[in-house]
Amino acid sequence: MTGSMLKIEGLTKRFGGLTAVDNLSLDFPEGKLHAVIGPNGAGKTTLFNLITGLLKSDSGKVQFRNHDISGLKPHQISRLGVKRTMQIKSVFNQLTVAENLSITRQSAQRFLHPLRPASRDRQTRERVDEVLEQMDMTRLAGQTAGTLSYGDVAMLEIGMAVISEPQLLLLDEPICGMSPAETERAVAKILELARTIGIIIIEHDMEVVFGIADDITVLAQGALLVSGSPKEIADNEQVREAYLGRPEDEDYVDEAAHA
Amino acid sequence: MSGRALAERGLLAVFVVFLLTVPWSVPLLLNPFWVSVIAEILIWSLFAASANLLFGYVGLLSFGQALFFGFGMYGVGIGIDHFGLSFWPAFGLGIVAAMAMAFVSGILAVRLTWHYFAIITVVFSLIFYFIAVSAKSVTGGDDGINFALPPTFSFGTVQYSFADANFQYFFILAAVAICFLLMHLVVNSPLGKAFLAVRENDVRASLIGLNVYVIRLIAFVMAGFLAGVAGALFAFFGRYASASYMFYTFSGEAVVWAIVGGAGTLFGPVVGASLFIVIREVVSTHWEHHSLIVGVMAILVVILAPKGIVGLWRDWVDTPADSAEIPAAPELRTEP
Amino acid sequence: MIDTLLLLSLNGLIWGLIIALIALGLSVIFGLLDIINIAHGDFFMVGTVLAWFSLQVTGNYWAGFLLVPLICFVLGAIMQRLVIQPIRGNPALSIVATFGLSLILQEVVRMTFGATPRRILPPIQGTMSLFGIQYDIYRLYAAGFSIAALAAFFLFLNYTKLGTWMRAVRHDRDTATAMGVPARLVYIMTFAVGFALAGFGGVVAAPITTVDFRGGVDLLPVCFIAVIVGGLGNLPGTAAAAVLLALLEGIVQSFANPTLARITSLLLMSAVLLLRPQGLFKGFAK
Repeated sequence: MTGSMLKIEGLTKRFGGLTAVDNLSLDFPEGKLHAVIGPNGAGKTTLFNLITGLLKSDSGKVQFRNHDISGLKPHQISRLGVKRTMQIKSVFNQLTVAENLSITRQSAQRFLHPLRPASRDRQTRERVDEVLEQMDMTRLAGQTAGTLSYGDVAMLEIGMAVISEPQLLLLDEPICGMSPAETERAVAKILELARTIGIIIIEHDMEVVFGIADDITVLAQGALLVSGSPKEIADNEQVREAYLGRPEDEDYVDEAAHA
Repeated sequence: MSGRALAERGLLAVFVVFLLTVPWSVPLLLNPFWVSVIAEILIWSLFAASANLLFGYVGLLSFGQALFFGFGMYGVGIGIDHFGLSFWPAFGLGIVAAMAMAFVSGILAVRLTWHYFAIITVVFSLIFYFIAVSAKSVTGGDDGINFALPPTFSFGTVQYSFADANFQYFFILAAVAICFLLMHLVVNSPLGKAFLAVRENDVRASLIGLNVYVIRLIAFVMAGFLAGVAGALFAFFGRYASASYMFYTFSGEAVVWAIVGGAGTLFGPVVGASLFIVIREVVSTHWEHHSLIVGVMAILVVILAPKGIVGLWRDWVDTPADSAEIPAAPELRTEP
Repeated sequence: MIDTLLLLSLNGLIWGLIIALIALGLSVIFGLLDIINIAHGDFFMVGTVLAWFSLQVTGNYWAGFLLVPLICFVLGAIMQRLVIQPIRGNPALSIVATFGLSLILQEVVRMTFGATPRRILPPIQGTMSLFGIQYDIYRLYAAGFSIAALAAFFLFLNYTKLGTWMRAVRHDRDTATAMGVPARLVYIMTFAVGFALAGFGGVVAAPITTVDFRGGVDLLPVCFIAVIVGGLGNLPGTAAAAVLLALLEGIVQSFANPTLARITSLLLMSAVLLLRPQGLFKGFAK
């Protein structure tokens, strides 16, 4: 039995009249690849925003390895080792791939030297090269991030999350919009990362989710519907119901169930 | 080294040699009057660099840099006229006053971004403009304070002061050069890279562990320093300090010079300030309505060279940017 | 004392209505085109100057109420096409371009109209008694014209095809274009309407202020502040903020000198910006 990596208790977030996350309590144990699924509007991305401090919860608590991180600022949470990618890919568009990575790496330091040239930092350079290789992006190092293909931006974003040795990685629809070849590459990377880092992934592609997740948490209307192993989820009646009315997603569940 | 880098080095060398020989070459080629125009351009370049540091590197559009210019100016003016300070303490007072003001107003202002930030900087600078205009006994209002210039250095009976035109020029050149060198170091440092990260994407910047608020505040105080030095130098240069230099239109000019020259480039503000002041000086002797030409120029530059003149130069020489290069002209977000 | 308070409050209120007109023009240009229009104060100034010329040519001030907005509309359309269209979508460049426009407008006025400020006599002289004080009749007319123009503008936005297009483009540019709204025409018209509103404000205001080529410089920050304090994109909020700000300044002026009044209102605006950056009236209007 491993301990809890991320524990959420009674988390609530309202936007005006809409309750996006409704008294949600979740427990993500260490060392597993967790997936969070649910129909659109289930509160998945809001949950990530609450965990990473981009949104302030109305009530409830988020604990990361026994640190209470609720109420902390995004940069404070990031410095504890919780890194994330965004649903709408978010990098530094006008900077090169290598600069994106080196800035990310240097930003993890508490003190940013104001006068020494950034490029003279050999440790950072070596680490950037390492991550470029790990992400198969070495040939793109000098390219401006804004000119990359969608899949490459997504990979860069994962690289940026990885470069500062995170403890917990939150991936928000990492393979959305990728070609099949890119998907295959990304999935392999995620599985590789999951060996050393705790990962929580939001994903709509059920084939991928059921293929890689150790645990699946299903949200509906901001609340926990059910969580369990992929097999348990696939057989669950409630999950099927939650996806009713969205035949597309239902097909995915069926497909996955029979896969 | 690529052809472009060589060309840039060459141009820079010519520029440096020119600046160092201005007091002798310019009177030969034109007339002595232009030496002081060039000294003035140097000061305005520094002022434009202050707006550029905020807008070009951190993505904050400030319409309030005249406030810190004014504090630098009045620090010197009031220091000499009211407190009887000598040159260096007055210079220091001007810079410290500007930075302190930048720190205090920055604490409030950098909580806001984009349009809101632009407006609050206008509002802050207007408040102090009106205070300066009405507190005539301290500031002299629109007429300003005229003061007698103390010597910069005195060794026994030998004194160096701004009364000597060559000394004045070289002092201003040295001060401006030091500021630009500092800015060059900062924008290439990890802190400078963090500025760029905040400019490009503040949400992502916070997610990689940057305290966006503190970084913006640091940049704001640094910009206050640059504007303060410019204001203090201008006070010595003109032997006076006046509230009219604190008006918002003056801040706007700094932004325009920076964008026309090339926002987010070190030399953009120099190019922009030079262009506009040279036009002003050349045309105004022949034609009263020189502003018309300045207006047309401003429009033509943004339509024909949206990245500014320095941006245009870089595109023209065109080689793929290497990783040490800072991209010109920041991406603009229209979301608040 | 009470009389002064009343007089200055009324003056403030009426001035606020005129500012509301100008600020609305600024707000639609800003909201639709992403243009930070540094020249907007000068649009107002051009209105006052054109009003002066119109009086010289026609001999009748009222003619200006029709002629000036029309001329401004045409000028606005031309400027949008020549200067704004090429740099649309880049607010930073728009600052420089409209700064250039501002210089050009001021300089052309200085060349033609001259640098000396002039006064225009109101077309209606005399005073009437109002709440116990004698008040300029023309100022009441000015208030009436401003209110009528504000009402006409909101009717235009809500009940004409062009107005609906403008709202649609502001709401969602891509969808509107996809639905067949001719976006370019809307951009040109928006800038033209914005100029015309400021110009109309100029005609209304000319007899109660001075006609001066620098007349827009002081006005510009006030208009921007009204747009922000009223809430970006909230047009009724903008109008209300303009009126409130000017009224407030009028009231403070009856206790203190004008500069102190200006400082007070600026301090209040900073407070609003810092405490309610989404605008003073969020939750009231649409």
